[in-house]
Order: sequence, then structure tokens, then C-alpha cells
Amino acid sequence: MSVTVRLPTPLRSAVGGERTIEVDANDLASLQREIAARYPELGARVLRDGAFGRFVTVFVDGEDARFLEQNADLSTAKVVEILPAMSGG
Amino acid sequence: MTTTLEEITALRGLRCRACGALQPADERYICGECLGPIEPEYDLDIFDAETLRVDIERGPASLWRYAPLLPVAPPTSHWPVGWTPLIEAHRLGDALGIERLYLKDDTRNPTLSFKDRPVAVALARALELGLDTIACASTGNLAGAVAAAAARNGLRAFVFVPADIEPEKIASAAAYGATVVRVNGPYDAVNRLCGRLADEYGWGFVNFTLRPYYAEGSKTVLFECAEQLGWTLPHHIVVPVGSGALLTRQATAANQLRATGLVPESHFHIHAAQPAGCAPVSDAVLDNWRPVEPVRRPETLAKSLAIGAPADGDGSVKIVRETRGSAASVSDDEIREAASLLATTEGVLVEPAGGVVVATAKQLASRGVFHAGETVVLYLTGNGYKGGPEETALGPVIAADADAFRLAYEEVLA
Repeated sequence: MSVTVRLPTPLRSAVGGERTIEVDANDLASLQREIAARYPELGARVLRDGAFGRFVTVFVDGEDARFLEQNADLSTAKVVEILPAMSGG
Repeated sequence: MTTTLEEITALRGLRCRACGALQPADERYICGECLGPIEPEYDLDIFDAETLRVDIERGPASLWRYAPLLPVAPPTSHWPVGWTPLIEAHRLGDALGIERLYLKDDTRNPTLSFKDRPVAVALARALELGLDTIACASTGNLAGAVAAAAARNGLRAFVFVPADIEPEKIASAAAYGATVVRVNGPYDAVNRLCGRLADEYGWGFVNFTLRPYYAEGSKTVLFECAEQLGWTLPHHIVVPVGSGALLTRQATAANQLRATGLVPESHFHIHAAQPAGCAPVSDAVLDNWRPVEPVRRPETLAKSLAIGAPADGDGSVKIVRETRGSAASVSDDEIREAASLLATTEGVLVEPAGGVVVATAKQLASRGVFHAGETVVLYLTGNGYKGGPEETALGPVIAADADAFRLAYEEVLA
């Protein structure tokens, strides 16, 4: 199952300047594994110990991925968005 | 583009908090290596403490008196932000059981909240970069600060807020000429939208693309407290936590005050204040310093602190632990009572976030956290005129008649 991952400008250099990438993944865990395997430069920037680092925020169709389990189903997801952390408020 | 500030301040560059890489102070706002948060780093050895102290004391009555310790030069168009009063609060202290209590009254900034401080520094950077539009995601106070600063400098402003924030805050931001965009959903959803828009437009999002500069403005609260206490740190500060940027920068400020020799070494504790309906940092502190777990749907009277996924959340927990501070999360009832107690003992009217701080201080005092003779400073960051907890309980309307007054207000007069 292919998921569209949208990247912010500072990360696009890690994937040849693309705004989005298509990643085969059924859940968050496989999404992280696929990013590490297929886009190692991107993985080096956003993953820590195989999972999304705490200084990036990941949204699955607008839902903060921190509220989702690692095995959360991505088969119906339209878009995964990766953003750097923001200040407040 | 290289900033001019390296020539006029001690700025060494921007250091990543995640991977430690030092990078040039150019247009980047996150670490080019790992996407982590980057913060200005200074060469503090260049300062002679006495010369720096005299220069600061001769400086303007605004946060720009600390320009040598800020990452950007003061713009010519700046207005007086900061240098707010530090007030001794004997009556509130007696009520809370705190011997040496002070209020840092940051409700007196130009747009009635401490957010004027980070915006002043972010705006100076925006002008340096030649931006024509500034923007933000806001829980209310930042919206007003951005809108007013943009007006003052002839810039365009877009502010994005959760649709359910206090109407007074939306109205004031709009009155300054900003385009106010109300967004359905909590602050974190607004933030996500802004993250996306920051990519599509070249605007200066103060709490995103200008964040390394924005956050530095918050240091000036503690710089002022130290100077107002005769160049010494207070023993305790109680700080409201939304994103955690204010709290973490108080530790940065303390370190810089010590490293430059402006203040002597002393014990200094930072305490986190959060409302129970959105207390990811306080809960982590009180649950044995565990990692911050975001709050999915914040529900609190203190809307300015309703940030469920605080960017500086883990950083705040770390700082509270390192300074041997503590935390509290307080209920809406405690917030109301505390804000009322503050108003009726000290004549200072705060928004609910101020009630959160006073209620937290009350809890900490009852836990025995403050010791005799120690100075305790409460950070009051937003004014009650921006939207109090609820409608004030007023007495009846009467005829212009003395007897009518006596009859209607018999209980108060007794």
C-alpha cells in the first residue's frame, strides 16, 4: 500500500528536491522502516533508533502520529506530513 | 544572507539542541543536519562584567538594554517592550504563606502580555531579512503582539488562532489591522496549518521560521528580575508553560547571567505551572520525570496555555529537573480563585494563565518547597483585560438614590 509523505522545504534536499515521496507502508512501523531503507538520508534526519524523533511532528491525515500506535493502519491514509517542531502560543 | 548581529553582539552562531552542530546565523530556522531546534550561542568570555553591567544600566527602559545578550540588533523602529515592574507582594505572600514574594508584572507590555518580548526580537530579525509579512499560530496573546508590531513597522500580518479563543483577543488583533484567521480545532491543528503555509509563502512565522530569534526574547524576563533584585537571581521562579519556550529560556538566561559575571552563583529553581486540563509538562515532572505525553484535546479555562504538544515540553521537564524545581497542575476552580485572590490582594488583574501561576505557587508553598528568606517570583504573563475567567459578579443596578444604594448593598456595607 503506497502512502504519500509530504516534506517541508528543509528536508527536500534529502530526497532530490521532491516535495512528496511515495512510500509502501501498512502502518507507522513499516513507514519508518521503508524510509530508513529507501531514503537513508531522510531517515538519518528524521529517525532516531528507528522511530520518528521527538523534534519532528508527524501527522497522518491531520492526526498527530504520537496519538497513534506503531501498528496503526495506514491503508486508508491519504497523506503523511512531516513538520519540524514549532514554538508557542 | 548573513546577519549583521555577529558584528555587534557576542553571537557565535546557532547550536542544534539535538545533534550539537554549530551553524551560521543565516536564514535557517532548524538544524540543517537533523531538523532539531537551533538556538543562538554567544561568546560570553568577551564581556567584562562591570562594563557590561554599566552598559545595561545606561541602556533604554526596554528589553533592548540587554542587546549585547540578544541575537539581533535593536531596530530603529522599536518601541518600549519589557522593563516591566517587579512588585513586592506582601498581602498575597501572607495569603499564600510565602515570606518574600514578588510579581513580575508582564501584563504591562504594549499589547498586555509577555509575547511582546519574543515578537520584538523576531520582528527585528524579520526586518533584517527584509520580510514584508509576518505571521503566527497563536492561542491569543501572540496574535495581538504580532499584529501590533506589524502595524508599527508597516508590515502585513496574518494571525491564525483556534476559533474558540477569547473574543477580546481576536478583536484586538483585528483592530491592529492583521488578518485574523480562525481555525476549527485546537492550537496544535493551527500549528500544523501554519507549518504547511510557512512552506508555501515566504512569510516570517515568528514562532516557526523565526523561532531561534523569537525564543530569545523570553530571556529578558529573567534578565530584568535579576537586575531589579540588585543583580542577583531569585531563588525560585514560577513560570506558566504553554509551548515551554518561556520556561526553557529562563534557564538559558540564568546561565548567561552567571557566565558573564552579572550575578553571583546562587541556588535557583524553576517551577512549571500548568492547568489540569492541559498539563503535559507538569504531569511528566510529577510522574517521576517521564517523557512528555501530548494531550490530545486540551480543555481548560487558561486557553493561552492550551498547547497539547509543546515543542519545548521535554526541554522544560529537563530544565525543571536540572534546577531542582517542581510543578503543579491546577483545576479551573483553583485558577479562578487564585486570579481573584491576586486581584483582591495586590490590585493586579490577570488572564487565567496568571491564575494558574498563583495557584501553582499556593500548591508549592503548601508542599514546603519555599524556605524562609528565599525570594519567589511569579511570572504574570497576560492581562485580565484580554479576557478574564468569567463575567465579573456585579451587584444590582440602582436608581440614583442613597437609600436605594443602602438597601441594595446592605450586605457589603455591614
